[in-house]
Amino acid sequence: MRHYIKVEMLRMLRNKRYIIFVVAFPVGFYLLYSNLWGSESDQATGLRGSVLLMVSMAAYGALAAAMMSTAVPWSQERHSGWLRQLQITPLPGRAIILTKLASSLLLVLPSLLLVGLAAVLTQHVSLPPLRWVELILAMWAGTIPFAALGLAIGSLLPPDTAQPVAMIGMFGLALLGGLWFPESMMPATMKSIAHVTPSYDYARIGWRIAAGETPHAADAAGILAWGIALVGLALVAYRRATVRA
Amino acid sequence: MRVPIPTVKPMNAIAFTGVTKRYGDVLAVDGLDLEIPAGATVALLGPNGAGKSTSITMLLGLLRPSSGEIRVFGAPPETAVAAGEIGAMLQEGTLIPELTVAETVDFVRRLYPRPLPLEEILRLADLTALARRRADRLSGGQTQRVRFALAIAGGPRLLLLDEPTAAMDVESRRTFWDNMRAYAAGGRTILFATHYLEEADENADRVVVIARGRVVADGSAAEIKAGVAGQAVSFLLGGQPVAGLDALPGTTGVELQGGRVTLRTTDLDATVAALYRTTTLEVRDLQVHGADLEDAFLALTKEA
Repeated sequence: MRHYIKVEMLRMLRNKRYIIFVVAFPVGFYLLYSNLWGSESDQATGLRGSVLLMVSMAAYGALAAAMMSTAVPWSQERHSGWLRQLQITPLPGRAIILTKLASSLLLVLPSLLLVGLAAVLTQHVSLPPLRWVELILAMWAGTIPFAALGLAIGSLLPPDTAQPVAMIGMFGLALLGGLWFPESMMPATMKSIAHVTPSYDYARIGWRIAAGETPHAADAAGILAWGIALVGLALVAYRRATVRA
Repeated sequence: MRVPIPTVKPMNAIAFTGVTKRYGDVLAVDGLDLEIPAGATVALLGPNGAGKSTSITMLLGLLRPSSGEIRVFGAPPETAVAAGEIGAMLQEGTLIPELTVAETVDFVRRLYPRPLPLEEILRLADLTALARRRADRLSGGQTQRVRFALAIAGGPRLLLLDEPTAAMDVESRRTFWDNMRAYAAGGRTILFATHYLEEADENADRVVVIARGRVVADGSAAEIKAGVAGQAVSFLLGGQPVAGLDALPGTTGVELQGGRVTLRTTDLDATVAALYRTTTLEVRDLQVHGADLEDAFLALTKEA
């Protein structure tokens, strides 16, 4: 299975779409936005713009990586016959979804680390070492619900539908989570929808850790509940997609 | 003095016992009984929709029979697959576009407990020169060769090929069958589905003809040719009546086309003798044809 994870990583790192959405986008937008608003200070969180934007763009990149590396590739593999190719080898069925999840989590790391690096190098962002560790670990673990959502989409939909659904889901969650503009600027209805999304909880946990505060229990509970629900959905959908008639 | 030699029943690679597969109202496989001993190369010959792919898919445990039992080396298909005993080339299947040929083959071979060495697989599938090419830059025929490589990567004792040459040109086909024979030479069992008669004739020791989910003939290509309709005799009938010709001794079928009538027969001498002796027909331009596999195939798979 280690070799399988290696192969999965290798192919995604050669995938242009992954590199553009997951590595180039978040780093590029971080550089742009932090030049515009990097020195301003945010009212709600008390964070400097350069730090707030670092968390926002890292969160966007991680969310995008988790969904991009799962939904469409997995849907394509099911439909192209690659899944069957694997099913007639001694590889056990559960190894496929576990590998997909594990490699998706590893593929989240480049965007998290590169946005952080860009923040340190261009905006001279500096946090205490322990806070860096906490921030990266929390933002890493927090992508599990999104990877599960991507896998569920890939199991339930054919590739030509999985593609737009994953895109809309990814940008929708990023937008509602307040990753592209602050939640305080949202109209009332949008705000109340935003409050129940996992990306909103995810971003708030990141900002609070970056500010040196303890994340709210409600945010942690929110993302945990989403995590359990989406992992459950992903498992049920996977079983349905691989059932032998 | 003769010493009695104990008879050892040879191990069957494949055994279907009364296997039926139903999709709703459609009976894809209808009470199939088939045993294939280890080491044989067998063609599963039949028209589209005969149940070839369904049978192969069931052999791989990807489909379960509605009734009956399938054994692969004495075990259920899932067990044989998990033990790495089976390799297969299914009809459809693309590769991971971002991986090279060598990466793809190496990945799959590592999933098996007793794989062949990478270099040997590449050589057996004629891929050595393409090893570093990415899958999305391969032609259709090259992709088929990689899929053959994936089927043999684990060094399986049983190789299943479902219409493997469908996307290949004539030259690739010839090479493909040479490669298959090289793999079979190690005492391995091969079952391939095809609707090309020449492929079955040239590459299999045994041909199993299936139609409508049942075995309709089973034997060497020569036996199948001989067993069905044997030979045929044709002559110009002109405007004379065709009635009564089917009652001639040995006759198994009568076809009329453009004034020429063809009688299929299992006993050429008796049919021809009776044609002259017991009918009043004016027989012109009499020709005798030996049946080829094509005729046998058509006769066998025609609606019974």
